[in-house]
Amino acid sequence: MKRLEKLSTLRINPAKTLHFKYKNKNLKGLSGDTVATALYASGIRIFGRSLKYHRPRGLYSLDGESSNTCMQVNGIPNVCAETTLLADGMEVKAQNVAGSPETDLKGFMDKLDWAMPAGFYYRTLHKPARIWPIALKQVRKAAGLGKISAEFQMPGKYDEIYPKADVCVIGGGPAGMSAALAAAENGLRVILLETRPWLGGFFDYRTAQNGAGLSLSQSVRQAAEQLEQNSNVRIFTQTPVVGVYNNNLVTAFQKGCETDYFDERYLEIRATSVVVATGCSERPLLFENNERPGVMQIGCAHRLAQTYGLLPGKQAVFSIGHDLGLEAALDLFDLGLEVLCVADIREDGQDPALIEGLQQRNIPFLRGWVATRAHGNKTLHKVTLATIPGTLRKDFSCDLLVASAGMTPLTGPLSLAQAKLAFEPYTGFFIPRQLPAKIQVAGRLLGLNHPATIEASGRLAGTLAAGDCGVSVESRLKEAREKLNQLPGPDQGSKLVTAPVQGRKTFICFDEDTTVKNVKQALAKGFDATELIKRFTAAGTGPGQGGIPGHNLPLFVAQYHGDIKATAMPTTVRAPLVPTYIATYAGSNHDMCKRTPVHDSQKAAGGVIRRIGVWKRARYFSKDFSCRAEIENVRKNVGLLDASTLGKFRLWGPDALNALQRVYASDMSRITNGKVKYSAMCNDDACIIDDGVVVKRAENDYYFTTSTARAGATVEWIRYHTRYDGWNFHMVNLTDAFGVINMAGPNARKVLAKVTDADVSDDAFPYAAYREFMIKDTIPVRSMRLGFVGELSFELHVPSSYMQALWDLLTEAGKEFGIRHFGLEAQNVLRMEKAHLIIGSESEQRTTLHDVGLGFLWSRDKSEEKTVGAVALRQTENQEARLKLVGFKMEDPSRVPKDGSIIVDNRIRGYVCIARHSFALQEPVGLALVDAPLAGEGTRLQIYEDECNGQHLYATVVPTPFYDPEGKRIRM
Amino acid sequence: MFGRVKPLWGEKSSLKSNYDAVIIGGGLHGLAAAYFLARDHNMRNVAVLEKRFIGFGGSGRNTAIVRANQRTQENVPLYKEALALWPVLTKDLDYNLMFFNCGNLNLMHSEAAMNAARMNVATAQFHGVESHLIDAKQCKELVPALNILADITYPIFGAMYHPPGGILRHDAIVWGLAKGAAEHGVHVHQQTEVTGIGVENGKIVSVETDKGQIKTPRVLNAAGGYSAALSYQMLGIKLPISVLTIQAMVTQPLKPLLNHVVSSGAYHAYANQTLKGEIATGAHMDSWPNYTTQTTAYYIKHQAEALAEMLPCLRGVKFMRHWGGLADMTPDMAPIMDGNDSIEGYFMDCGWGYFGFKSCAASGKYMAQFMASGNCPNMLKPFSLRRFEQHRLMGETAAVVNYTPDN
Repeated sequence: MKRLEKLSTLRINPAKTLHFKYKNKNLKGLSGDTVATALYASGIRIFGRSLKYHRPRGLYSLDGESSNTCMQVNGIPNVCAETTLLADGMEVKAQNVAGSPETDLKGFMDKLDWAMPAGFYYRTLHKPARIWPIALKQVRKAAGLGKISAEFQMPGKYDEIYPKADVCVIGGGPAGMSAALAAAENGLRVILLETRPWLGGFFDYRTAQNGAGLSLSQSVRQAAEQLEQNSNVRIFTQTPVVGVYNNNLVTAFQKGCETDYFDERYLEIRATSVVVATGCSERPLLFENNERPGVMQIGCAHRLAQTYGLLPGKQAVFSIGHDLGLEAALDLFDLGLEVLCVADIREDGQDPALIEGLQQRNIPFLRGWVATRAHGNKTLHKVTLATIPGTLRKDFSCDLLVASAGMTPLTGPLSLAQAKLAFEPYTGFFIPRQLPAKIQVAGRLLGLNHPATIEASGRLAGTLAAGDCGVSVESRLKEAREKLNQLPGPDQGSKLVTAPVQGRKTFICFDEDTTVKNVKQALAKGFDATELIKRFTAAGTGPGQGGIPGHNLPLFVAQYHGDIKATAMPTTVRAPLVPTYIATYAGSNHDMCKRTPVHDSQKAAGGVIRRIGVWKRARYFSKDFSCRAEIENVRKNVGLLDASTLGKFRLWGPDALNALQRVYASDMSRITNGKVKYSAMCNDDACIIDDGVVVKRAENDYYFTTSTARAGATVEWIRYHTRYDGWNFHMVNLTDAFGVINMAGPNARKVLAKVTDADVSDDAFPYAAYREFMIKDTIPVRSMRLGFVGELSFELHVPSSYMQALWDLLTEAGKEFGIRHFGLEAQNVLRMEKAHLIIGSESEQRTTLHDVGLGFLWSRDKSEEKTVGAVALRQTENQEARLKLVGFKMEDPSRVPKDGSIIVDNRIRGYVCIARHSFALQEPVGLALVDAPLAGEGTRLQIYEDECNGQHLYATVVPTPFYDPEGKRIRM
Repeated sequence: MFGRVKPLWGEKSSLKSNYDAVIIGGGLHGLAAAYFLARDHNMRNVAVLEKRFIGFGGSGRNTAIVRANQRTQENVPLYKEALALWPVLTKDLDYNLMFFNCGNLNLMHSEAAMNAARMNVATAQFHGVESHLIDAKQCKELVPALNILADITYPIFGAMYHPPGGILRHDAIVWGLAKGAAEHGVHVHQQTEVTGIGVENGKIVSVETDKGQIKTPRVLNAAGGYSAALSYQMLGIKLPISVLTIQAMVTQPLKPLLNHVVSSGAYHAYANQTLKGEIATGAHMDSWPNYTTQTTAYYIKHQAEALAEMLPCLRGVKFMRHWGGLADMTPDMAPIMDGNDSIEGYFMDCGWGYFGFKSCAASGKYMAQFMASGNCPNMLKPFSLRRFEQHRLMGETAAVVNYTPDN
């Protein structure tokens, strides 16, 4: 197609040709084109086929209101051709077609609409039952628009930013620009978000005069330049808003241009005040075949010409309900379009100058007329117009029907901000009844139409937003209000909802092929609420995000119920307002996790690192996952375990002991200096939630550990359970501040003695003792003699910055004693042999302190109100039928049951928490939670593994610990 | 072909002043109980009262996944029966519930998780429910879009594969049950709000509504997310329920890509493809209790981050719609199904959290039996409210839950 040249409004660059592929043909477009306009320029009129009926669909709008122009671009499905800028080398394909869009083999579906009334699939395809699985496959194949393969890799770079603004203006049209400027003049930081690649909104393409000697286009482009110079305003174009959340959190995404480092960028903007100036889209006109290619909205036809230099057709009929339609008819006529007739839904209220313009050009003008049918098999070739009551008719042969019922406000951001909208009969708009705090509205959205009014309303909203930010704006507000009041108010909107037709092929929703008839069917079925109709007919649930049915559906339903004023309620709008790539939302997709100070050393030493909770930890240092060498080395020589992930806390102050008493089951007043106290925390159901050790470093000054999993929750837990006491104590989480090495094995003392002058003999530093000393006169350590793995061991807590040095020192000093690292799995087996429990492995939400055999930790001497869980500890102490923790050995020692196997008789009686082959005992042993009656020593347990096919394993309950029951080795 | 159209759940009837049973909540559980009461127990003079429109709450906001691979032996049989009921209900209701028996993969991301899953799998197998542990390679064979590389945040070790599970069309069940109930004489009253419950001498006598009073000896609280507030405000019975927002979303529709439900606890994400072709995804709840159904920016971003790693081809797919619902969470993730305790004639079917969808058919059946006979069926006995008083949590989840700091 030849482009219109020398229009001052053009946004394309005729000097820069872009090449792209469509249907194996090389086509050309211009820089500035969207994929849709480039295709249109290349003569493409059918862009794809509709979801259900495979009806041909074409260019109807330019802002992605429907899925008509969803196409596959560079392998990416469901790309909206209307809002995607053309790039050199693009490969474009039509979707949902068998063959080509022009000759779709499934086009016959359009004739089968009688067999597919609203909700037909609920009433069919299930009788007889055996046909459903077959039908289901066909349903799945028929559904869906684009295709994506399982191997698809999304190209491009994605980023995210989190800017803060005083005022965030949504919409870069005349109202939004005025609002941004007004706010900026008050010294505020403003972010202006605009979906299109340029500012200017519906002024940008219009040659109508602004009353001051300039065209609207010229004036708005000047204003845009001015705004771009303003350093208080940060403008994001090609940035559709997708969400508005509580406290004015606005999310959007920005499409990158050629010079940007990203393809798309996710924006999360925290603004003090938000101005919504999104303007309007057109309310689709409902008539037969209202989506036939060749039918398009006013803005689409007008912008094709003025912005892209494309005359949308040759001979046109207009069926409109707004002055913009008249303006477009005049403009397009002047550019060479033959306008056969302009039908206006409105009997009156038109701008006389526009009517005069029609008369001057001899364009027939019909008031109170409307299009009732578009004819043409694939594309439009004839239009029937009729009077509103349907009494008179006229046919026109044409290739373009510009059709629009009127304007409809783009209220999406307002709805997301929880503004309640109500139908306003004069404008026919859904208008916010009351605005949420610090949300302002401006422009066409309010039904305003006069250019000066729109700008003035923007100024007012921007000033109000400045007021929201605490700026004193009284005099400016007064001025802005006075100015606005002198200007013309809202225009009367068109009342027509649907043309006088049966509605069999009158589409209220293009994406889902929902017709007016379908809606009537739903109503007859008792689906009387608009929300129910939406669900039953799927209207508004397609990729166009309700852009077509948005306000038509509730208006139609309200009209059906007979009282449009009382019952019209828009359906719920949901984010994202514009469909957004998962890649874009994912942004930089960073993974946040913690590594211990000796992460790299362990990795270098062959550690297999696994993510465990928030941490990355060394799980094995063996190729053989039995970890035999690691385990045996701890038992025979000495091993090093990085236990830095343990929760570590300091708790101090006059009421520190009270706080400990509250959360620990034991009597914590009995902690003595230089000794380690082991205890546990329970919840109000007496279930064990944590265990660890506490030491007293000074008067009212305690240091304690928790399990790794509880490190994050413990401070909050203690605060919560002491919240009414007004106690004076402090807590600090030292988990990341300290590293921990557990050095365990019979040679542990020899290694330690080599690196410290402190006396670490058993007499000076016995089991369960706590000492602080220096290593190599440099590294301050807090050391505990513990026995989690069942050998002589020293737990060394050091400031994280010293951790690497200590690790290296010990590794070096221990060489002669056979030192080596061991990982979590080796520790798991070692501690199991001692029947030392790990919370979450040998306990779960049902397990009390009593159930795991740690009831002795509970001090009855403390009053119950002083201890979390004490009441439940008493109540559950002698309760029957609970799961109890037991040790077991296998009848057939050649077989270790898998963890998680269940224990059964005629019902399930428990499960295996852990079972491993013990190298020390040379047989498998394990721990299980079993029903109390099975917990007695010598009880035979029947183990049911997954996939066992009835072949059970048998075990016997035995006393624990399995290894070194006297505990001699930990006291070496 | 389709004759004269009748409203699906009956012509609008006015509220009567007497019903044999009043069911509060026109969601799946309430409608199912009404349906089974009328169909199996000849109790036809029943009203279902719904404040908004049927299916407004969780019934219309869930992602329609069904499965029977629960953790404990008290729960598995109930869900097993529910799973078996879908084809039966499709036939009995003469309404296509669109059961897509695609099977569920619950991904595991560590050896410990695989072991924990083994308990569920063994429990399922012991009860005759098909469920298997499979390794990462087998996962990839079933779901080619899955990322089984080792360098992602939570590498996949394997999955609990549950072939009998799948998805249904949630709205279809709401409408089908409403249709079935109405055909047996039940009145479904929409836009009818319960404002009080009358008790005399320890017995239910009436229900107050904004449309008038109803005399009735039986009330079922099936108000979903609002059940605990209702129970406390109208009867003074406190339920150990925390209400949390749970969010979900769908992508634009695609031709068939995912043939299973894929879920991951570590990523806090699941994904399945609806029959319309959309990828429905969601998972965890907001971390604080609240009664709103508002969505958050954090959540949709989190979901994208998870899916981008788990199912990387979805990076090229667009999110289209994001919504929230309410989950009524008990401390053990198992529901409260109880009645005739402390107030005669007051029945509860609540605390379902996010398991309310998959269970509705079975719970409706047994609650109806309970309400009609006055005797608690064995199937429901473990779900009594008193278990919490006795510190006997059910263990439906392994972890100690923590919805609020007091837990």
